[in-house]
Amino acid sequence: MMRKIWSLIKTDFNTTFGLSSIGYSIKNKKNRWQLILFGIAMLTLIPSYVFMVGSLSSMYDIYAQIGQKSMFLLSGFLSAQILVFIFGLLYVMSKYYFSNDLAQLVPLPIKPSYIIGSKFATLMISEYLTSLPIILPFIIIYGSKNGEGPLYWIYSLFLILFLPVAPLVLASIVVMFFMKYTNIGARKDLIRTISAVFFIILMIYVQMKIQTLAQKSIVQGSDFLVSLIKDSNLLVKRLGVSFPPAQWAALTLANNLSISGATNLIIFIGVAIISFLLMIFLSEYLFFDGLIGNIEVSATKGRGKKIDTSELSRETKPYLALAKKELIMLFKTPIYLINAIGGVIMFPIILVMTNSMGGDESLSAIIEVMGVESGYITLGCIGFVTALGMINCVGCTTFSREGKCFWIQRTLPIRVEDQIIGRVLSSLGVQGLGIIALLVSSIFIVKLDIVSIVLIIILGLLGSIPMTQIGMIIDILRPMLDWDNPQKAMKQNLNVLISLGAGTLYLGGLVLLVINIIDKFYISFIYGLLALIFILSALVLFKVLKILISKQFQLLE
Amino acid sequence: MLKLRNISKTYGRAQVKAVDNVNLDIRPGEIFGFLGPNGAGKTTTIKMIVGLLKPDEGVITIDGVNVWEEPLKAKSMISYVPDNPEIYDRLKGIEYLNFIADMYGVSKDDRRKKLDYYLELFNIKDAVGDIIASYSHGMKQKLVLTSALLNDPKLFILDEPMVGLDPKSAFNLKEIMRKMCDEGRIVFFSTHVLEVAERLCDRIAIINKGKIIAMGTMEELRSHAEERESLEKIFLELTE
Repeated sequence: MMRKIWSLIKTDFNTTFGLSSIGYSIKNKKNRWQLILFGIAMLTLIPSYVFMVGSLSSMYDIYAQIGQKSMFLLSGFLSAQILVFIFGLLYVMSKYYFSNDLAQLVPLPIKPSYIIGSKFATLMISEYLTSLPIILPFIIIYGSKNGEGPLYWIYSLFLILFLPVAPLVLASIVVMFFMKYTNIGARKDLIRTISAVFFIILMIYVQMKIQTLAQKSIVQGSDFLVSLIKDSNLLVKRLGVSFPPAQWAALTLANNLSISGATNLIIFIGVAIISFLLMIFLSEYLFFDGLIGNIEVSATKGRGKKIDTSELSRETKPYLALAKKELIMLFKTPIYLINAIGGVIMFPIILVMTNSMGGDESLSAIIEVMGVESGYITLGCIGFVTALGMINCVGCTTFSREGKCFWIQRTLPIRVEDQIIGRVLSSLGVQGLGIIALLVSSIFIVKLDIVSIVLIIILGLLGSIPMTQIGMIIDILRPMLDWDNPQKAMKQNLNVLISLGAGTLYLGGLVLLVINIIDKFYISFIYGLLALIFILSALVLFKVLKILISKQFQLLE
Repeated sequence: MLKLRNISKTYGRAQVKAVDNVNLDIRPGEIFGFLGPNGAGKTTTIKMIVGLLKPDEGVITIDGVNVWEEPLKAKSMISYVPDNPEIYDRLKGIEYLNFIADMYGVSKDDRRKKLDYYLELFNIKDAVGDIIASYSHGMKQKLVLTSALLNDPKLFILDEPMVGLDPKSAFNLKEIMRKMCDEGRIVFFSTHVLEVAERLCDRIAIINKGKIIAMGTMEELRSHAEERESLEKIFLELTE
C-alpha cells in the first residue's frame, strides 16, 4: 500500500513540476538568451517585494506601540492562510477534477483517497510558494526586532511546514462537496463557475464581517484600554476567531518561552493532521461522485440543432477570429473563467465591499474630502482598471494557454501583428466586464458623472493594452506549454507572478508621476498625458513583441 | 517543388542526430511516402518542413520559398495534419473550421463549397455543432483533415494519417490524396502501414536512425533489395 502511495506521489511530483523535462531542457543548451531575459524580468519583482517588507516593518512598530506585538504575527498567519485557502479552491478544483491524468488514474485499482492524498501532497508544495513569501517577512521581522531565541525559530519552522495544511484541507473539502452536488445538467461548468465566484465573494464577506464584529466588540467594551494593557495577546485572541489556526500559530510564537507556546503549537499541528485525515476519509465518499460525469461531455451526435448554413461561410478578419477564439476558450474552460473573468469581476466587488460593509469607511471618507469633481476618483478608477489588465492574467498566459495546441498557431500563416492585436483584444474583452463590474459596484460609494465614466472606460482600456503586452512579453519568453491541468497555465504559472511584478513597476511609476504633478497641472492635462504614455508604451511594446514572437515561434520546440 | 538540402537536427547534449544530412526533391503531382521504424526521424523531418522545429543545418524550400526565411509565405502553401491531433477542445467543430479558414484567408464561397463537400464526405456534418471535446479520436482526425483541405495547399503533409480513421474515411482520404496529385500538388506523408505506401505512393523514402537509406519508386526499391518481393521485406531488410 505504502509503495502505491509513494509511487503516486512521485509520479505526480514529476509531472506537476516537470522534473524530467527540466532535466531535459538544462541539457539542451539553446535558448539561453531567453533565460537571461527571463531572469531580468524576475528582478522586477524585487522592488515591489522590498516595498512590501518595508511597510510591514512599520506595521510592526505600530502594534508594538500599543503593546500588541502578537497581533503582527496574527496578521501574517491570517493573510498567508486565507490566501492559501483562496488559491487552494482554484488549485484543488483544477487538480482534483480537471487534470488530464485522471483518465489514467481512475481506471487503476487504487482507492480515491490515494489519488486525493497524492494530489494533496503536490498541492502543498505549490502552496508553499504562495505562503512562504508572505509569512517569512512577518516571522523574520518579529523575530529579529524582538530578539527572539532559538525556540522561536524552531517553532517557526514547524508552523511554516504545517501552515498550508488546514486551509488546503478546508478548500479540498469545500470543493469536493461542491463538485458532488453541482454534478448536474448539461450546463454544469457554467453553474459551477458562477457559484464558485459567488462562493469566494461570500467567503471574503464573511471573513470581513467577523473581523468588524470582533473589532467593534473590543472597542465597545468600557475597559478596553485597561484590558489592552493587561493582556498583550488581547487582539489576537479576539480577532483570531475568524480562523483559529492562525490564532494558535500567532500565540505559539508570541509565547514561545512559556508552556502556552508549546500547547498552541501542538494544537496547531494536531488539528492540521486530524483535518487531513478527515479529508482523506471524506474523499472516499465524495471524490468519485463529483468526478464521474465530469469527464463526460454532452454531445448531440447530430440529434441536436443542425448548424446553420450561414455558419459555413462566415468570414472574419484574422485578428478578430483569433480574439474570438481566445474569448470562447476563456469562457468555456471553467478554470480560465474563474481565474480571468472571475478575477476582474470579483476585485471591484471586494473593493466596494471592504469599504461599505466592513465598517472601515476610509474610502468613502477620502472620497468625501476630495469630492468627485477633483478627478482623483476618476484617476483612481483608471488606475484600478489598468491594474485589472494585469490581474486578469489574459496577457501573461495567452501563449501558455495554447498548451499542446500551440502547433496550430505555429503552422498557420498568421501575421505576428494579428497575433498581437487578436490577443490584446481578447484581454480588452475581459477588461470590459471588469469595467462594468467596477462601474456598477462603485454606484454604492460614489456618484460618477458621464464624463468620468467615459474617461474611465477609454483610459482604462488604453492602460490595459500595455499591461497585457507586458504579460505577453513575459509569456512568450518562456511559455508553459506542457501542462496537464489548465490551472497550471493560469495562476500556477511563474509568468503570472513575474508579470504582476513588472506590471506593478509600470503602474507604480505612473502613480508616482501623477502624484508629483497633480497639483501643478490641470486635470485634463494629466488625462491627456496618461493617454499619451499609454499609447506610446503600447507602440513600443508592440515592436518588442513583434521581434520576440517572430523569434520564439521559430525557436520553440 | 519541395526541396530539402542537407537537413540535420540534433537533440540535447547527447548529440544524437535525429535527422542526419537529409536531401529530398519532391515534384508537384507526387505522392511521397516517408517510411521508417519508430524514432527514425520521420516526425522530426516533418516538423522541420512545417515550421515547428528549426533545422540546425540545411535549407528547406517550397516553390523556391525558404520555409524558415519567409515563414508566412511558405505556411500559406502548406497544410499539416499531425499524428495526434491536439486541437482546441472547447471550441465547436464549426468554430474550429472557421478559425482555420480565417487564418488562411479562405473566401466565403470557397469556404462554403469546401465545407459542404468535405463534411459530407467524412460524415461529420452533424457533429460540427458539438464541442470538440465530445469527439472520438477518429472524428477529431477527420476535423483536422477537413481544416487542412480548406486552403488548397500546394504541399499537403500528413503524419501517420490513417491511424484512427475508419475504413471508409481511410478510403476517402486516399482518393483525396490521389486527386490532389492529379491537380499537381504534393502529398507527403509518413506511415507505418507499408501496404498503404506500397499501393499509393509514387515514390518512397525509407529513413533509419536519421538517415535516408533508400529512396525511389517501388520498382527501384525492389531492384536494390535482395529479396525482391513486398515492401515489407525490403523495409525489414534495410532497417535491420
